[in-house]
Amino acid sequence: MQEHHHRTDKQINTDLLSSIFSTPKWWPIATLACLIVYLTGMTAFAYMLNKGVGVTGLNRPVFWGFYMVNFVFWIGISHAGIMISAILRLTQAEWRRPITRAAEVLTVFSLIAALQAAPLVHVGRPWRADLWVFPYDFSRGIWINVKSPFIWDPSAVMTYLTASSLFVFVCLIPDLAIIRDRTKGIVSKIYGFLALGWRGTPVQWKLQIVAGILLSALVLPVFVSVHSIVSWDFAAQIGPEAWHSTIFAPYFIIGAIHSGVSAVATVMVVMVWLFKWDKYITPDHLDAIGRLLIIVATAWFFFFFLEWVYALYTLEGPELAMRELQVFKMPWSAMFIIFVITAYLFPVPMWLFKKVRRNFLWMFITTISVNIGMWLERFLIIVPGLMRKQPLMFNWGSYTPSIVEILMVAMTFAWVLMGMLLFARVFPLIPLFDIKEGMVGRDEIKIGRAKVPASIRE
Amino acid sequence: MPENKWGMVIDLDKCTGCQSCVVACQSENNIPINTEDIFNQRRAIEWIRIERYWEGEFPNVRARYVPVLCQHCDEAPCEPVCPVLATYHNDQGLNVQVYNRCIGTRFCANNCPYTVRFFNFWEPEWPESFKNQLNPDVTVRSRGIMEKCTFCIQRIRRFSKNSESTERDLNPACTNACATDALVFGNLNDPESKISKVKSKGKKRSYKMLEELGTEPNVIYLKKVEKGTKQEHNVH
Amino acid sequence: MSTSQNTHEQTQFSKQADLTAKLVGLHVSKYNKNTIFLIILSVLSIIGLIGLIVKITNDGFDNPAKWGYYVTFVVFLLTTVQAAPMVAIAPFIAKGHWNRSISKVAQLFAPLGLINLLLFIPVLCVLPSLSDGRRTLWFFESLKMNAYMPHIITLISFICLVLLGIALLWISTVPDFAVLRENSKNTYNKKLFSILSNRWIGTSKQWFTQKHRIGILGAFYFMTLVILNFQISSDFAMSLIPGWIDSLYPATHTANSFQAGVATVIIAMYALRKWGGCKDFIGFDQFWALGKLMFALSLMWVWFFFSSFIIFWYGAKPTEKAIIELSMTGPYFIPFLGSAFLLFILPLLTMPFNRIRRSILGPTILAFFILIGSFLDRLRIYVPAYQLSDHPNKHNFYLPDVPKTILPDIPDLMIIVGGISAVILTYILLTKFIPVVSIWQQKELSLYKIHKKFHRTEVLVLGKPE
Repeated sequence: MQEHHHRTDKQINTDLLSSIFSTPKWWPIATLACLIVYLTGMTAFAYMLNKGVGVTGLNRPVFWGFYMVNFVFWIGISHAGIMISAILRLTQAEWRRPITRAAEVLTVFSLIAALQAAPLVHVGRPWRADLWVFPYDFSRGIWINVKSPFIWDPSAVMTYLTASSLFVFVCLIPDLAIIRDRTKGIVSKIYGFLALGWRGTPVQWKLQIVAGILLSALVLPVFVSVHSIVSWDFAAQIGPEAWHSTIFAPYFIIGAIHSGVSAVATVMVVMVWLFKWDKYITPDHLDAIGRLLIIVATAWFFFFFLEWVYALYTLEGPELAMRELQVFKMPWSAMFIIFVITAYLFPVPMWLFKKVRRNFLWMFITTISVNIGMWLERFLIIVPGLMRKQPLMFNWGSYTPSIVEILMVAMTFAWVLMGMLLFARVFPLIPLFDIKEGMVGRDEIKIGRAKVPASIRE
Repeated sequence: MPENKWGMVIDLDKCTGCQSCVVACQSENNIPINTEDIFNQRRAIEWIRIERYWEGEFPNVRARYVPVLCQHCDEAPCEPVCPVLATYHNDQGLNVQVYNRCIGTRFCANNCPYTVRFFNFWEPEWPESFKNQLNPDVTVRSRGIMEKCTFCIQRIRRFSKNSESTERDLNPACTNACATDALVFGNLNDPESKISKVKSKGKKRSYKMLEELGTEPNVIYLKKVEKGTKQEHNVH
Repeated sequence: MSTSQNTHEQTQFSKQADLTAKLVGLHVSKYNKNTIFLIILSVLSIIGLIGLIVKITNDGFDNPAKWGYYVTFVVFLLTTVQAAPMVAIAPFIAKGHWNRSISKVAQLFAPLGLINLLLFIPVLCVLPSLSDGRRTLWFFESLKMNAYMPHIITLISFICLVLLGIALLWISTVPDFAVLRENSKNTYNKKLFSILSNRWIGTSKQWFTQKHRIGILGAFYFMTLVILNFQISSDFAMSLIPGWIDSLYPATHTANSFQAGVATVIIAMYALRKWGGCKDFIGFDQFWALGKLMFALSLMWVWFFFSSFIIFWYGAKPTEKAIIELSMTGPYFIPFLGSAFLLFILPLLTMPFNRIRRSILGPTILAFFILIGSFLDRLRIYVPAYQLSDHPNKHNFYLPDVPKTILPDIPDLMIIVGGISAVILTYILLTKFIPVVSIWQQKELSLYKIHKKFHRTEVLVLGKPE
């Protein structure tokens, strides 16, 4: 049976704004720790800038490594926000209400993390990137090459970043007004400026709702295009083994949703642990997201299966050699086993149990496990494909990441954690107005002796 | 049809795997010295390399040598993927790399099925005594950019400007250095050129590397002739 | 307080009784109508049967190229009629309310798989064995598999799908059969329905197990359908075209099959509304919801299709160019253009308009075009596949030349017309026997749905049981 904590508007305000008006003891420590890791990564980056890409483990033929893997991983995580917000908003799923904000914010921060993970960082001469970012080169009179997936890719990612930031902002406006009214002086002025003169008039509400729905509908095609295009960075190529596969776009998307929704579940659990919002994020919400995850994970596994089947179907030497490397050669085989177990074989059977889906600790463990697996998945697609390139065996190679790359991967993780922590200090991570709307719209229907939870529909 | 379409024929039957082409290329094109350390990092730059393959089981083992250089594909996979158009096809059938434009995404290197594109992972260094030896006609590439075989474009340029130059002035360094005449360079569009004659003579043995990818290379290989086969008598 | 509750319960009860009477009446009233139409359909079905016999005697099974259109038609039926029950399954698992009145419309398509199963037998005879050296999913050479693996495994999946479909239909109709048992006066009918209703008296335990059974059967139906699409698209199409490796094609095939399944249900809904007297139950909501779903599936199809296309176009290997020519720009350009237009461009141009989307006729016409588009989409793959299936070069994994267009012959057309007629005829006969609007689902919905005053307006409150 569904739990339901009825809270008055006043209680909602005090509960959910607690993260802003009081500083818990752990907060400065956690943020500082993240900052230290982040700065270490930045130092590593500066070192690389000074010495050259040689300080990484990249070589010929493995020209792309940890940076690209990490880029794809964070783009994947960023798909959570839109999945939860846009799709669930459009389908009017009630359980989305307390999660949307955290998911969208996670999207924004992980997109910025992705931008830090690869595009500019991993190129040989970042200082000449104006040739890439700016569409026209005046001194030579030529345009950028629109046929290159590396032009499609930044365009899609930047569109996605713009749209999702806007999405976060539009949904934040009513809450900003609440904070404005509860602060004084310059702080109140800043929030007031951000709230764009929100007074809560019917016209303002209508505009806000329409903007939310329009943005959800418009951001969905962007969401699909982003990861498709990221996958085409790889799949459009005929050089590396196993990349030139038609399934990549849907496979990457469903994998991104798998890891993204898992990350949202992780964030939910952490929010409850850190801010004690257990009256808003209940086991029901975890249960719902757990059931969604079973479906998403299984769909992903089906695509994974298809990808493998058609790789073996080709019966081509290098393709088989690459698969053999993935499955039978240490340390790749160990990674492969860990990947399959952590991404599917461990979490999904666990989620079949209602007790696991409704348990905070278990959901934390399983969803973290999914993301470990999904990171390895990207690694196992990108690196072995380059290692076993074409039948010219003379050029087959290997790859070991250097400490610089590892630090820079850690940097992106620290960035997202730090971003979420800072955001939680300044803005409410659970949308106040959405929760209140849900409280008003909630109802119960009596059927015979049973009561069924219900909600109001237009 | 353009006047010139540069190409190369590599007769594997003549190749001894002596590596002199590699050395010649190294000195002609200002390629940084491949130290042991760099080799271990698998970042050595060799615009032309001799790939060695072993065939058969002991004791009937045979070594096979294949010189591999940029194939200057007509449908080059490296060209469309470059975001900044640093690599393109010129009107003489050459796949050229514009060092100044390159930002080093390494996308082209990944998409090259022959793995003949090289990235400057480090700033190139020469001992002080070597510095006067650098070829003034060839750019010294800085770190962070891609480079590859140019078919010694500087020599082609010089040849076309000077009316008295001979075929030897046109040939790339590797071709001139080849002791057995295994490498033949020239204009594929000119039916009178040496390369066209070698090409038509070796038609039965000719193949292009990884032809099924449809990259249309301008480097043509002539198969090795096995001892005691029927083909042996037709070659010479 | 207690009295008001009592009256509420009483009104609920009397409303329920009314609803039952109305639905049973709807079911019974359908008898003895449209006799001429039924006769025409029967004649056409017999013509189709004659066409099949002519085809077998004239062409035999040794020349697969002659059977391309036949295979296309069988796969078309698989991807429309047998995908239609998904409309009932997916929303049931997602606990949607809108599909309650049409779930039976969709499930009634499941037994039609039996017809398709019969039509599938010649396809099995036509498909060459694996011994011709083509690429295969079954690793024939390396694992020393039986040369008839695709035939055997696909037939098993096919039978499973049909059986699951029939079981699903029966299980979800059991409560309705019980109602009919109680309401029928004819002793023969009473006996029949009491057997079919399997001692159903509506205890909580029975309801509980029934709902679980529907959920599990539905999930299995879905999985079997996906697997069957996967097998048919790879063993009966992809492997026959030398050099065609498209790991996404099974998914594209499945996406298109869901799209066509939704379209089939929409057309059936329209027919039942117009001629079946279901106007009060199958209404605007259902058309709207299914129209949106169909549009979403159109977008999904085109995304899958484009994902495949761009890889082939960008890769531009000789084989990939040949495949693009074979299935798109070359001999089957017109079917390709038709399928792309009807499956994607037409919905894209029309569905964003409220006047078309929020109507009954709009989605119906689009559904009709989508069915034609699906047929053309199947045609551009399956006909060339069977043309190439006895190509001497096929074990080269390389497509040497693109064949010429072939057109359907007269027996093909007879089979197509006859097959469609047989499907419609069987469907009509089934509706005479099974209530086309699920009685118990309607009654359940009426309990979950309440109109309430909210501040100054009246709102609809919908219950969502856990």
